[in-house]
Amino acid sequence: MTPPAIVRRALAEGLGMIAVCDHNSARNAAAVQEAAGTRLAVLAGLEITTVEECHVVALFPDAEAAQAVGAEVGATLGQVEGGYETFFGEQHVLAADGSERAPETLALATATTLDVDAVVRLVHGHGGLAIAAHIDRRSFGVIGQLGLFPADAGFDALELSRHVAPGSPDAAQFAVHGLPLVHSSDAHYLSDIGAVHTVVRCERPTFAEIVLALAGAHGRSVGDA
Amino acid sequence: MKLEDIARELGLTELTSKVTGSSQADIERGYASDLLSDVLAHAPEGGVLVTLQVHLNVIAVASHAELAAVIFAGGRRPDDEVCTKASAEGVSLFVSPADTFDVVGRLYAMGVKGNHA
Repeated sequence: MTPPAIVRRALAEGLGMIAVCDHNSARNAAAVQEAAGTRLAVLAGLEITTVEECHVVALFPDAEAAQAVGAEVGATLGQVEGGYETFFGEQHVLAADGSERAPETLALATATTLDVDAVVRLVHGHGGLAIAAHIDRRSFGVIGQLGLFPADAGFDALELSRHVAPGSPDAAQFAVHGLPLVHSSDAHYLSDIGAVHTVVRCERPTFAEIVLALAGAHGRSVGDA
Repeated sequence: MKLEDIARELGLTELTSKVTGSSQADIERGYASDLLSDVLAHAPEGGVLVTLQVHLNVIAVASHAELAAVIFAGGRRPDDEVCTKASAEGVSLFVSPADTFDVVGRLYAMGVKGNHA
């Protein structure tokens, strides 16, 4: 998954905006933004693993904010050692043209020491949006890990995985939390990109418009695909 | 097996003190899991839970599953807020420096069994 290949695939799938959310790192987001230029809106983010092993998708106004949070998250992770890459795959930090920019030596597949509440606070503190990732999944979903949805944590939205269709009976049980539902591919391979998507009604594909759409403000909204 | 006997035998530190009558609660069943959705679905009523999770939701789940007590393994201590909530809900909390495997092994040796024993 190089930046040019990600952009090509997203455009071919007809997407207007994507978010780059590596596990516990934001070091590749700016490169994908650069590769996209003005052809595709690319949000900088990361998918943070809390100490409870809940995944939280964090989206930011710009790559700098994402990287600031990435640095705080990364400071709680251990180093890659032993057979790590055999199990979890190789980790690369790439330039916009897809060339290797730097080695990634943090064990990104492990959990941070931050709990759910602390992660949401950290994300909000840098102007970001905190989304409870693949809420329908038993593993690494916040309900799977914590039994009940933590209403006080302050999440901005819930993400349904590709395994649950928005508007389906399975999705309805997550609507009770009163938060907007987004549908994301959680793409780990190029071929996953565009597997599902979220329709956002807004003026232009920007972070500020996504914030309004999730809040249902000024005529913006997110809806079923 | 009385909860107070378990606490003494396993050298547990109690984190709650105002759970009326809890020390005399008779514990026959136990469950060990860090996935609280799994605890909600399978933990035996009146039993003891051994877990690493220290999130506040442990208390909501323990209360809903009508567990008598929770033992946090590996020396993990929840925030005071969690202990206060547990006292209000009538769930006794303990912490053990031992890891989950050793805590469960000692409980089993004392006669506390799982769902399929």
